[in-house]
Amino acid sequence: MASSFWNIAYQQATKSGVLVAKVYSFLHVTTNYLAFPAYAFGPSMIPTLHPSGNVVLAERISKLTRGDVIVLQSPEDPNKLPTKRVVGLEGDSVSFVVDPGKNDESRTIVVPKGHVWVEGDYTQNSRDSRSFGPVPYALVQGRLLWRVWPFQDFGPIGPPTTT
Amino acid sequence: MRWLRYLNQWRGTAKEALEQVSIVAKFLCLIHVTDRYIISSTHVQGPSMLPTLNLTGDVILTEHLSHRFGKIGLGDIVLVRSPTDPTRMVTKRVLGLEGHRLSFSADPLVGDSSVSVVVPKGHVWIQGDNLYASTDSRNFGPVPYNLIEGKALLRVWPPRFLGSLR
Repeated sequence: MASSFWNIAYQQATKSGVLVAKVYSFLHVTTNYLAFPAYAFGPSMIPTLHPSGNVVLAERISKLTRGDVIVLQSPEDPNKLPTKRVVGLEGDSVSFVVDPGKNDESRTIVVPKGHVWVEGDYTQNSRDSRSFGPVPYALVQGRLLWRVWPFQDFGPIGPPTTT
Repeated sequence: MRWLRYLNQWRGTAKEALEQVSIVAKFLCLIHVTDRYIISSTHVQGPSMLPTLNLTGDVILTEHLSHRFGKIGLGDIVLVRSPTDPTRMVTKRVLGLEGHRLSFSADPLVGDSSVSVVVPKGHVWIQGDNLYASTDSRNFGPVPYNLIEGKALLRVWPPRFLGSLR
């Protein structure tokens, strides 16, 4: 009978649909509350991260401390997710050179409540809080934990290497 | 060895219990995904949105889809995560999108001195409808767009005020 073919097809479709929904839910809960992979590229975090690209693991569990490398939602462009290092927490005083190309004039800012101050490790080529100001804490997406690729540099992402 | 046999007797029950737990877990997942990403109800209270929203508290339906597609427009009432306290959500109206120039009175109780700002790229300007009792962009500045978490659709409680919010 023709209808039983569609019955079987419908049953198969719903079974696959339920499986997809279960896998998606599991992935969703894991990436939103535990850890998620990210692809970071660009020159602003040299030498911690390669400019040509790194696949990293970021976690959402721990509370942020000074020196953590984080993924955040950019306050300038809602679609961009830059990776920078937390240099100041709320209440900290941060000093930075306002226009390094022009002169050595520096400013000191107190990070307001509910915000963090982020800077790239390669300050000469980094758009960070020195341009867009302190970042509200809710825009922080996760803390970088581990680098997965390139394989030669498989390992934890640590404190800035002092040159 | 008697306790092993005892455990075996409970195997059937344990299997049934696990099945029931997994049904409950799947239901909770579905509720969570709907509540966070599609539509949810929020209890809002406070004087900052009078007369649109009541002081003692309203329940409003908020949808969480528009902000992901950039469909937040002028005059929308939005749920925003507070830039000063990341654990709190505030409900305000969007009065300026990026690039808009706004004038506002720095202190409406004191005088008419007005300040003019341009909303920077990637930010929105939010204000409560009750200018005299609202902490909003006039205090903490324009808010990054990504802090918007939902758009208010309609009010569902108290029942005599059921309907759209304008």
